Amino acid sequence: MSEKIYTRLFRLYPSRFRKAYEDEALQLIRDRLRDEAGFFKRARLWWDLAMDVFAGLPQAYRNSYAVTAEAPAAPNAEGIPSFRMLDNEPLKRGSILIGSTLSLATIAAFGFLLSRSIGYVPLSSSNGRISAIESVVERLNRATTPDTAAGRAEEAAKSPSAGASESQSWPAAALPESTKHQDFATSVNVPANGLTANIPIASRDANPNMNRDQSLIPLELPRLQNASGSTSLDAAARQRVVTSAMQNLRQHYFDREVAQETADALLAHEKNGDDDAAKDGVVFAELLTRQMRDKSHDMHLVMEYSRDILPEHPPEPTPESLARYRMAMEQQNCMFRKIEILSHDIGYLKLDSFPDTSVCRSTATAAMAALNHATAIIIDLRDNAGGFPGMVTLIAGYLFDHPQYMYSPKGAPTEEFWTHSPIPENTLADKPVYILTSASTWSGAEQFSYDLKMLKRATLVGETTRGGAHAGVFHRIDDHFGMGIPEQKAINPFGKTDWEGVGVEPDVKVSAAEALETAVKLAEARVRTK
Amino acid sequence: MPKRKLDPLPAAAFQIMLALSAGELHGYAIMREVEEQTGGRLRLGPGTLYASIQALLEGKLIEEVDRPADTEERQERRRYYRLTIAGRKLARSEAERMADLLRVARARKILRGDYV
Repeated sequence: MSEKIYTRLFRLYPSRFRKAYEDEALQLIRDRLRDEAGFFKRARLWWDLAMDVFAGLPQAYRNSYAVTAEAPAAPNAEGIPSFRMLDNEPLKRGSILIGSTLSLATIAAFGFLLSRSIGYVPLSSSNGRISAIESVVERLNRATTPDTAAGRAEEAAKSPSAGASESQSWPAAALPESTKHQDFATSVNVPANGLTANIPIASRDANPNMNRDQSLIPLELPRLQNASGSTSLDAAARQRVVTSAMQNLRQHYFDREVAQETADALLAHEKNGDDDAAKDGVVFAELLTRQMRDKSHDMHLVMEYSRDILPEHPPEPTPESLARYRMAMEQQNCMFRKIEILSHDIGYLKLDSFPDTSVCRSTATAAMAALNHATAIIIDLRDNAGGFPGMVTLIAGYLFDHPQYMYSPKGAPTEEFWTHSPIPENTLADKPVYILTSASTWSGAEQFSYDLKMLKRATLVGETTRGGAHAGVFHRIDDHFGMGIPEQKAINPFGKTDWEGVGVEPDVKVSAAEALETAVKLAEARVRTK
Repeated sequence: MPKRKLDPLPAAAFQIMLALSAGELHGYAIMREVEEQTGGRLRLGPGTLYASIQALLEGKLIEEVDRPADTEERQERRRYYRLTIAGRKLARSEAERMADLLRVARARKILRGDYV
């Protein structure tokens, strides 16, 4: 046993040393084992052997093991330079030390890089953080046709009396032209200083059984009162907002520790007078958002300011509004805009929303059945502004042959996020999929794109999407301030960041206008090589 | 160069040379002899022992000898070493160097008494 261990230890020595002395060394240990019995002596023997490695190794490496011969006498003719090998030295201790340290460092660094999950942050956003307001401004700048909801919101902001009384808007962009009607407000629109902050209202409190996104069901919003003209904030008002924000964080944020730290940070900033310069509501909300995100690193924490008075209770869907939604969906074929079979039997589906499955399930299954024999599928989400996670899961189900979890930052995994694959008689599970994206692809459509991209199930062609994940639940603070707080931890299986504020990057970057043509070419090439 | 490894002479090498000054010994016997002459303070492990022996061989301060015919351990493969003339010279000069050091130490009252 002892000998075996020492034989292993002896491998540390240079090979020529081992060759010359291994037998002798083992003999020496055998002798000592024989002569030194008893616990104390054995322990001392092992201590000696351990120390010996430190003392003997360097010396063993310093020896040359050359045939012991004098350096040859120098046949040195005057003035003629010559090279002579004076000594055949083994590797120096220092060289071995440096070499092994460098190797270890390289291996460690490589391992560290491998274990890091790669966050999904495009280089373009310098620090990965865009405040909600900035992203809203960006969205507004991109979509400025007067007909769009955003455009109307801008106009509304310009004439406050009109904008304030009718407070509907945005996700109406998700709806078809004919239904893009004021009654189809799906979130509270908050025009302020020409900015529009989109705050999804969770109706969770009203009816706990309802899923979060049913806030997208058209709601009858109570008429909002006209806003007071002034937006100037004094210290007391700021303190009230900060205190309330701290309470809300502690009460609702899913991680108590982070909530406490974030609340403390808000308080510290307030005490330090960091907030004193923010006299304007929008600026103050932006500042608080930044402070919360700096501390918590959670992009879904947001403070919003509304120039209009926020309604006390989130509006509930009424039977009338549901009926209207149903009718609109029927008129619009549930937003399944186009179903075509292109050359090489490539299937093409243009889908402009992910409508409620309780209304549109049959339309969706019929559409997917029509594409069942396609050799490849192109799903066009360039005009899709999201919708219901149930529909995202339903359509994705056709693309897999096993139940697949469709990650969404909105909350913990529930059954709703698992596909019901395999679907009987479906042949699309192994067909190539291409998804067309644009700068207005949003929310649920981004979830669909993000998940299929991360699962390597689809190739995304087009532009980086708009970047709206809406994982937070809206909490009213007072008439003008409200905040979005994630209440459930959603573990992203693909990395740290989702698409909030940054969008989903396509695999193939082309302008939205060229996306279809590009995808068709890619699909044809793929189908032909099969 | 071998000289460099043995200049200054390491304690282990000097002890080995001192052990061999009494006669031809094999590795284990050297180790025991060193242990004895240092009062048990220095027990050479196999690595230190044979690395020092190799260095001394390379410096031609000791040499390997044929196994003495009269040993009982004839059947065991042991190598015996003895001091060369150069080795004896070096050991002496090293001892003198140490004696010089001792004189100085005594003159400076670091050492008391009159041993050595």
